[in-house]
Amino acid sequence: LCVVYSGALKRNLSSEQVRADFIALGLSEEKASYFAEQWKLNSPALTRLAVGQTLMINQLVDMEWKFGVTAGSSELQKVGSIFLQLKLVIKKGGQMENVYMELTLPQFYSFLHEMERVKTSLESFS
Amino acid sequence: MAALREAEFGALQALLKAPSRDAVRQLCQESFSSPPAALGPLARRACPGLAAAPEEAAQLVSALHNLTRHVVYRGLTKPEDILALFPENFHQNLKNLLTKIILENVSAWRNEAQASQISLPRLVDMDWRVDIKTSSDNISRMAVPTCLLQLKIQEDAALCGNNPVVSAVTVELSKETLETMLEGLGRIRDQLSAVANK
Repeated sequence: LCVVYSGALKRNLSSEQVRADFIALGLSEEKASYFAEQWKLNSPALTRLAVGQTLMINQLVDMEWKFGVTAGSSELQKVGSIFLQLKLVIKKGGQMENVYMELTLPQFYSFLHEMERVKTSLESFS
Repeated sequence: MAALREAEFGALQALLKAPSRDAVRQLCQESFSSPPAALGPLARRACPGLAAAPEEAAQLVSALHNLTRHVVYRGLTKPEDILALFPENFHQNLKNLLTKIILENVSAWRNEAQASQISLPRLVDMDWRVDIKTSSDNISRMAVPTCLLQLKIQEDAALCGNNPVVSAVTVELSKETLETMLEGLGRIRDQLSAVANK
């Protein structure tokens, strides 16, 4: 059953085609129709699952942040500048890798702006 | 906290032998920018120009380094504050010259200090592209948009000296991940506005 359904998924078969396949494999008309119906009901969910399993390169899995104010340093007694620190958790192959970085405020706003542009782009293709 | 010890102010008097005001200016700038470890070589280079003995040059360069760094550390910007650092009997003209040079350079020096602060690796560039996935080993036909984001990150400048290491990280984000990320970034923006408005 698994093999028939995953084959159907791979080839984007309609329920009619699935029914024909089952009959060709030797199932009775009634049973073939039943399984074809099941396929019709569940294929959207199965498709979504299969898409979800599609290969992703360095998938972003999580993002953490903190921001604060630099009060002083060994070179400057009073600083008062805002910093933003991001930690990205990336899935590389089977393992998780953490990437840490610091952004200035203008960089943060620029980053936010670019990500909003990406969202618009992704939405126009969905 | 006094800027310099008395002996260090004494060492500054070696500047009276400098060939020109520009030479003094240049030495001040180089003494500020140089890390303590590089002051020795700097002193040796300055020796001939100042007709000074090696130890004199070394003490001079060290005193200039400490004086300029002190002014930047304290954030002194007014002439009176800088003049007040010098002892009573210090050579008047030299005091005025040094104050003038320091005032000219103090904001550039402050920026230099801030730029070379310790920090986590810094984001230096970002690029993105949107791809459409059309098929895979599980599905022969689909049209799923996905985003590839490349971040260029530079390691802490202080650790790398003159050859900063820039690494590139390429990340893939699905639409859902991007939306979650934007939610997070939106929250950061709101918190930043709240802090800025206080």
